[in-house]
Amino acid sequence: MSHADLIIFVIMLGKIALILFGLLTAAAYLVLLERWIAAWVQDRIGPNRVGIPLTKIKMFGLGQPLADGLKFIFKEEYTPAHVDKFLYTLAPISILVAAILPFAVIPFGSMLPTFNVGGEPITLQLILAPQIDVGMIFVFAMGSVAVYGVILGAWASNNKYSFLGGLRSSAQLIAYELPLGLGILGVVLAAGSLRLEDIIDQQATSGTWNIVMQPLGFLVFVIASFAESARLPFDLPEAEQELIGGYHTEYSGLRLLLYLIAEFLHMVTASFLITILFFGGWHLWGITGSAEDPVTWVTALLRVIVLLSKVMGVILFFMLVRWSWPRFRFDQLMSLAWKVMLPLGMVNLVIVAVVAEYEPQVLAALGGSRTALVAVLWALAILAWLIAGIVAPLSTDNRPRFEAVDRI
Amino acid sequence: MTQTQSVMLVATLLAAVGLWLLLPRGEGWGRKLGILLALASLGLFASRLPRLGSTSAEVIFWFLAAVTVMSAVCAVTLKSPVYCAIWFAMTLLGTSGLFLFQGAQFLGVATIVVYAGAILVTFLFVLMLAQPEGHAYYDRVSWEALVSACVGAVMIGILTMVIGDAFAPKSFTVDETEKYVTLTDGIVDPIAGREVPQRTDEILSDRHMDHLGTQLFSRHLIAVEVAGTMLLAALVGAVSIAIQSKPLARSAGGARHG
Repeated sequence: MSHADLIIFVIMLGKIALILFGLLTAAAYLVLLERWIAAWVQDRIGPNRVGIPLTKIKMFGLGQPLADGLKFIFKEEYTPAHVDKFLYTLAPISILVAAILPFAVIPFGSMLPTFNVGGEPITLQLILAPQIDVGMIFVFAMGSVAVYGVILGAWASNNKYSFLGGLRSSAQLIAYELPLGLGILGVVLAAGSLRLEDIIDQQATSGTWNIVMQPLGFLVFVIASFAESARLPFDLPEAEQELIGGYHTEYSGLRLLLYLIAEFLHMVTASFLITILFFGGWHLWGITGSAEDPVTWVTALLRVIVLLSKVMGVILFFMLVRWSWPRFRFDQLMSLAWKVMLPLGMVNLVIVAVVAEYEPQVLAALGGSRTALVAVLWALAILAWLIAGIVAPLSTDNRPRFEAVDRI
Repeated sequence: MTQTQSVMLVATLLAAVGLWLLLPRGEGWGRKLGILLALASLGLFASRLPRLGSTSAEVIFWFLAAVTVMSAVCAVTLKSPVYCAIWFAMTLLGTSGLFLFQGAQFLGVATIVVYAGAILVTFLFVLMLAQPEGHAYYDRVSWEALVSACVGAVMIGILTMVIGDAFAPKSFTVDETEKYVTLTDGIVDPIAGREVPQRTDEILSDRHMDHLGTQLFSRHLIAVEVAGTMLLAALVGAVSIAIQSKPLARSAGGARHG
């Protein structure tokens, strides 16, 4: 192994360690953030007292994740007698693995400028596996493997609430994988590549983010990714008012912690994807330059900051939605997926395909102005949304009828 | 018959007997013997397969192959349907790993998405609803163990011999006047007489999707169209089934609360 290979190997290990450590810390502090936001929305005092241990310094409660973690570690690791022990242990591990793996192909910025280490020029990309050509589908595949954690945990728990959670979850995740894929397809068609870096580059080069060109695709993708990460209003698998804790009712201690971390990591993955696919990734006009510009240390740093701020914004949106939207009923959830999301996804795909194929002609027909094109696209999106809302309203006829209410 | 072929034959026979002993028939006898026979057959197969270039590649390949084969055996021999499904998922992950190892990124990831992610999860979903423990004996235990073991063994045998023959070092007499590249011990397409594109180039290329798309929509366009039409038929069928069951659901609405 030559000198340069060794350096690249060490850098690779460093990247993996950094991502693992960063993700787990981020998940812990996102829990704190979520509790703060919950407290703010509900007008109460959130966690603000735990600071540095053994002192009286409070530091706005920043020590809370540490206390939470210690609590989880020291709790009794209780395995109920009626569970299937092997699958009961396997389930949380598999869900955490599937939650961490997508970060192998998610870029955290663009590349760094070439620098020398011991006389060897090294070009570093801020992504773990830059040579993967099918990054988008890889994330998708790991998302579908994560279902196993939920189903197996639910089945192995041998508890009817867990079981119902598992049933709901598998049906929900299978149903929403289709609109998720359709939402992605429009972006892939526009960029002509499944590689996440290429998708960002395409948006940075053209200067128009995908949300401007594909509002319908954005809507479909965001709603589907909410459902895939099982966040409210789609948290039916673990709805605590209905199912105690859903699929993780029987879990305690560290194994429950694995489930909770995985849940937050799903949200982080979804935020990264939304940012990268629809909000231009690291691109911001006038600050980060376009894809062809040579990278300097300043722009490289700015790109990381821009990307992470956008991701943070999406995460905040996720957390605010949790406290502003009631949970769906199960039949509403299903009809939303099959009757609204799926047709809208297809409409978006057709529109994007037409624009991609006939862009010069379409532009010429609109008098050559891109603004007019965007306006037409948005008008089409709003029209499709209205039609979907009228044709498939989210009310079904399985509630008590008039006569039934009278007789009671 | 060469020595390699006879070893392969013995290995296949051992695999058949081992699989027959391993398949669930309600009793526990002979399972250990079955495991032993299966391992012996695997060892024989392994001893005759061609060596790979580097040690690290060899280690990775054998690890993935062992995971795949063992999980496949577990998937057909275990009794609990949920465990079978999990081992089948493991088999698919192993296969996908082998694909990735060969540089077929799209195939590897698509295997996970389609089979492990969609089909097997649907399968687990059905298993949960079907309550496999509550059903009759013949629903839970695979029968015709002898036939399935034989068919599996014959297929493994034929495949190994055909693939083994195809990849064995060969030499072709190549017409000098045609100016084709002569490869004495490489892979040569004997019909066209031309050199098969170097596999290493494809593996190291970073445009897998490009390559796949070009192949699918130029050389295999008709196959893609036919597959698409068949899928459309399935979709129409599903929609028609869904429409038929709708009036039933509607009539049940008010009565329950009345």
